[in-house]
Amino acid sequence: MTTLQEYKCPCCGGAIAFDSKLQKMKCPYCDTEFEMETLQGYDEELNNAPEENMNWDTAAGSEWQEGEQSGLRSYVCQSCGGEIVGDDTLAASSCPFCGNPIVVMGQFSGDLRPDYVIPFKLDKKAAKEGLKKHLEGKRLLPKVFKNQNHIDEIKGVYVPFWLFDTDADASIRFRATTTRSWSDSSYNYTETSYYMAQRAGSIGFNHVPVDGSSKMADDLMESIEPFDFSEAVPFQTAYLAGYMADKYDVTAEESVERANERVKRSTEDAFATTVTGYDTVTPEHSSVQLHGGTSKYALYPVWLLNTTWKGQQYTFAMNGQTGKFVGDLPVDKRAAKLWTVGLAAVCSAAMFGVAKLLWLLGIL
Amino acid sequence: MKRLQKTIAAALTVLLLAVLFCIPAAATDGFVDEYYRLMDMADVLSDTEEARLLNLLDEISVRQKMDIVIATTDSLEGSDIEALADDLYDYCQFGYGENRDGILLLISEEDRLWHISTCGYGITAFTDAGIRYIGRQIKSDLSDGNYAAAFQIFIQKCDEFITQARTGQPFDKSTLPREPMSAIWVLISLVVGIAIALITVGGMKAQLKTVRFQPEAKNYVRDGSMQITQSRDLFLYRTVDRTARSDDQDSGSSTHTSSSGTTHGGGGGSF
Repeated sequence: MTTLQEYKCPCCGGAIAFDSKLQKMKCPYCDTEFEMETLQGYDEELNNAPEENMNWDTAAGSEWQEGEQSGLRSYVCQSCGGEIVGDDTLAASSCPFCGNPIVVMGQFSGDLRPDYVIPFKLDKKAAKEGLKKHLEGKRLLPKVFKNQNHIDEIKGVYVPFWLFDTDADASIRFRATTTRSWSDSSYNYTETSYYMAQRAGSIGFNHVPVDGSSKMADDLMESIEPFDFSEAVPFQTAYLAGYMADKYDVTAEESVERANERVKRSTEDAFATTVTGYDTVTPEHSSVQLHGGTSKYALYPVWLLNTTWKGQQYTFAMNGQTGKFVGDLPVDKRAAKLWTVGLAAVCSAAMFGVAKLLWLLGIL
Repeated sequence: MKRLQKTIAAALTVLLLAVLFCIPAAATDGFVDEYYRLMDMADVLSDTEEARLLNLLDEISVRQKMDIVIATTDSLEGSDIEALADDLYDYCQFGYGENRDGILLLISEEDRLWHISTCGYGITAFTDAGIRYIGRQIKSDLSDGNYAAAFQIFIQKCDEFITQARTGQPFDKSTLPREPMSAIWVLISLVVGIAIALITVGGMKAQLKTVRFQPEAKNYVRDGSMQITQSRDLFLYRTVDRTARSDDQDSGSSTHTSSSGTTHGGGGGSF
């Protein structure tokens, strides 16, 4: 049986034909010429590309043991509905998400027991220092904002994270180019050579975290990454003493999509570093298969501060393990305008001065 | 062939008209002096302007021992302005001494073209860059129809250029008198200044924003877990783009030979 072999032009995607005069393959649409072997190799890679497959075993967390939950209380915020967990020593307090008072809802029950916890390594004092440092040296920050912060309200919260471990088998096709330039008496030439670089192999990821609480902004939690999992310990309720804990309300299955995105991107980036000797490298097609994917349920330490300024809420978060402090700050619009106008005037004058100087020196 | 005929016809017309500007008097030393140094065939100058410019031309030509000639014509009638300027110079026997040193500025009013033809020592004194420079000085007055003012500038510049050339260092690309700094630099400075300000303030604003998604998970790659099992690089095709180079104008004077066999330099442009 013979099958009609049809090749696609790597340059424009059109169906390509053999040119008997040239004894080469030539694209009738874009006139690019190819060696037969090139197209065969290219076609092979196109057909080899395996299907995407990113599945996880998302059975994380475990059942609580009897009596373990007895010291834990459930608290609910009357204002935002946020539900948090704390031990019974947690006195009348305010909601870490919105700053309003919270009330005891009752005995904590249900949900999964976390597998791991990274205990708080930095205390409240360090968190306050972190905030002070965060507000320093920012010229466009409104001055009053610094003074109006209720810095004492900063709270330590254990935030639920789903941790994903996986091995990735990837086959990634890159389009790479090199350019060469030269000139003769009347023209400048730029020659661009196009290559296909194919890389296949494997890479492993450990403990890729995804925020499991809908109350916590995902971007805020990703901003204080990374957490060092080597310091994690098996979960004990004792670690919660004096701190609040948030409960997961996004399941591992719902969170896995985000982990996949990041794993895929990292795999592409890591493989791209092996494509060397080119001027540009862009992934053209990537297929990533994940296997051995497992997930774990862990609590990570985060210092949180909520502040409302001019009707808008600002949330700051500090990594309770590494001290990384983040939080968007308001912009003093008037100061920004003044800076823009002032800088524009000074830079324009300086630029004109330099131009004038160069002109006087006869360079311009 | 047709083109040549046209040129000859136009040249003849111009020369015939030029007869009007014939001087009856005898020649002075070194100059043939058969024609006036100002031939306003297009009649763009008033009589007083004409008299004043002619005086100026005569004075400088005699003093510098080089013919400085200005001619205007209504139309080229399709012929080449370079050939016409050269022919006018040759047939009217302009030029000082054996080498026919001199310079002629021809303006075609309808075609809005100017051309400078140089001969003998004029070729040395007026380099290509120098002629382009003079063109820039007279262009705006020509465009506005201020022919007398343009000619006045031309005469002054000729005086300067010849004086400079007599020192053994004619004005050229690197030694030309400086033109005032272009006003475009004010605009460029403003644009650059505003751009720097916006970028800097943008950077200050970016400092205030620290919350963003992490697109990748490189912190969580298991150490030494990456293994490349298959690696293949395949050349596909190449493309070549070419762009014309901007011609880098050289210094010195370029020359050509006119229909009568005389070597001329020169250059011109539109206004």
